[in-house]
Amino acid sequence: MKNIQIIFNAVLSKNIIEYILIDKNFTVVSSSEDVHKYLENKLNVGDDILFVLPEFVGAEDNIRKIFSEPKLSYVVESVYKNNYYVNMSVEYYDEKIALILLHNITDTTLSQQKLLQYSNESILLNTTLQKILNSQNALLFVTNKDEITYVNEQFMEYFSVKKVSELKSKDLKLYTYLDSGLKDYDALFERVNSKEEYVIIDDDTFILQASCIESTHRLFTLTKVTKLTKDMQIDSLTGVYKKSYFNSHLERLIKKKKEGVLVVLDIDDFKKVNDTYGHQVGDKILKEFATLIQNNVRGDDLFARWGGEEFLLLLENTNIENAMIKVEQLRRLVDTRTFKNVGHMTASFGLAKKEESDDVHSLLFCADKALYEAKDAGKNRIKFKKI
Amino acid sequence: MIRKKILLLGDFSVGKTSLVKRYVDGAFDDKYLTTIGVKISKKLVEIDGVKCELLIWDVEGSTPSKKISLGYYRGASGAIFVTDITRKETLDNLQEHKDVFLSENPDAHYVTAYNKADMLSEIDRDSIVLEDDVFLTSAKDNKNVEELFIELVKKMIR
Repeated sequence: MKNIQIIFNAVLSKNIIEYILIDKNFTVVSSSEDVHKYLENKLNVGDDILFVLPEFVGAEDNIRKIFSEPKLSYVVESVYKNNYYVNMSVEYYDEKIALILLHNITDTTLSQQKLLQYSNESILLNTTLQKILNSQNALLFVTNKDEITYVNEQFMEYFSVKKVSELKSKDLKLYTYLDSGLKDYDALFERVNSKEEYVIIDDDTFILQASCIESTHRLFTLTKVTKLTKDMQIDSLTGVYKKSYFNSHLERLIKKKKEGVLVVLDIDDFKKVNDTYGHQVGDKILKEFATLIQNNVRGDDLFARWGGEEFLLLLENTNIENAMIKVEQLRRLVDTRTFKNVGHMTASFGLAKKEESDDVHSLLFCADKALYEAKDAGKNRIKFKKI
Repeated sequence: MIRKKILLLGDFSVGKTSLVKRYVDGAFDDKYLTTIGVKISKKLVEIDGVKCELLIWDVEGSTPSKKISLGYYRGASGAIFVTDITRKETLDNLQEHKDVFLSENPDAHYVTAYNKADMLSEIDRDSIVLEDDVFLTSAKDNKNVEELFIELVKKMIR
């Protein structure tokens, strides 16, 4: 017992542990001399410990049990009190008295706090950077070993993936969208580096840019410009696409080797409208005709103005039999309509089916030739021309 | 007079300390200082003639690698769960905080603060639909801070 007292005194003299003794009524019986440094007010014998140390409010039942069970204790860790951090524990002393120890852990806790502060700030910085990256356009990081290491939220959203590894399983290779001849991201980088390329993915148009991040990573940026490019490609008079947009779409169809039928449409005797009613009425007829056709084709069919009174229609995923049926419906629609100011009008249609070996020019040439055959045959009719 | 122990719980850097500082001292400090351990503040309130001393435990926030010590939860009558409205992950973790707290204190009451409302635009603020006992708060602008604590006290003394 004497040894324990010596040890205890030695610990107390180090000024890192103070104590308070309380009775079963939670009244202070005695305390070490310097305990007041942790307290708001001066400590007196007879004080209610729950007012001296409110940390124990709510724990009364736990503390009561300690008087009868020596093995029990009640601990509150890292409590900030009067500019100190202390661990507080209630221990068994005897059946009538419990010992409250206040262990000064300020130095170690402040060190821990510095580390925690640094760690938390790093997490916050990382979250902020992530938000910045996600607010940008679609981003893709690729190593010089052709491994995708990071894609941001925008990229994942566009390509419907939830993590980078899914890109691999989906066999998604960005470079194939630009040019099917490109074999890897190295080749894509060589092609795009220091310039911009338009790339069409499904129905969207993107500007693709590439830059080198250190020597190990390449960053590819996709900026969606679909609306902008579409707006620029709209014919202001008729509200349908211009020929340039139609051509690029037709080129994609040809590259994808998809089935499709190209139709060239021409309003019959349109020159007479202009000559008889004037150009203002002529323009209105063009608009009315374009709206009529546009409203009667499928959403994924592409309709454009070639120039003058000539229009183009691309029927994707359609064989020639179905295309003939569809175009006949359109012909009848025009033939049976009463156009404003003018009355009856007709149109002629030339069709060409896309074949494996076709390019844009041969297909257009073929459909145009079919149109002239329809005109020569008396107008208001449909002709199909095989290459 | 009754005394009630309440806890402020949530992820780190959601503004728990700032809410306590605003409520108890009427002050706000923009500087972020991580809380470690716990700091207890007192506040005397009187509601419907009932005097209540709140013992407000400002507990260190949980981080991905460090959860809150369960020892702090013992004997609590209520809790304020705090999230940062600008950090989605702090909203995602809200339910876990509630579950742990209520498993230790099944009869306790709670309210929730979507804090840092000052960082939202007016349009965003107006578009947020709040469930019962959830407050859109700002310790910086002193918005709904008093209301948050008073609602919890009302629930505890009812």
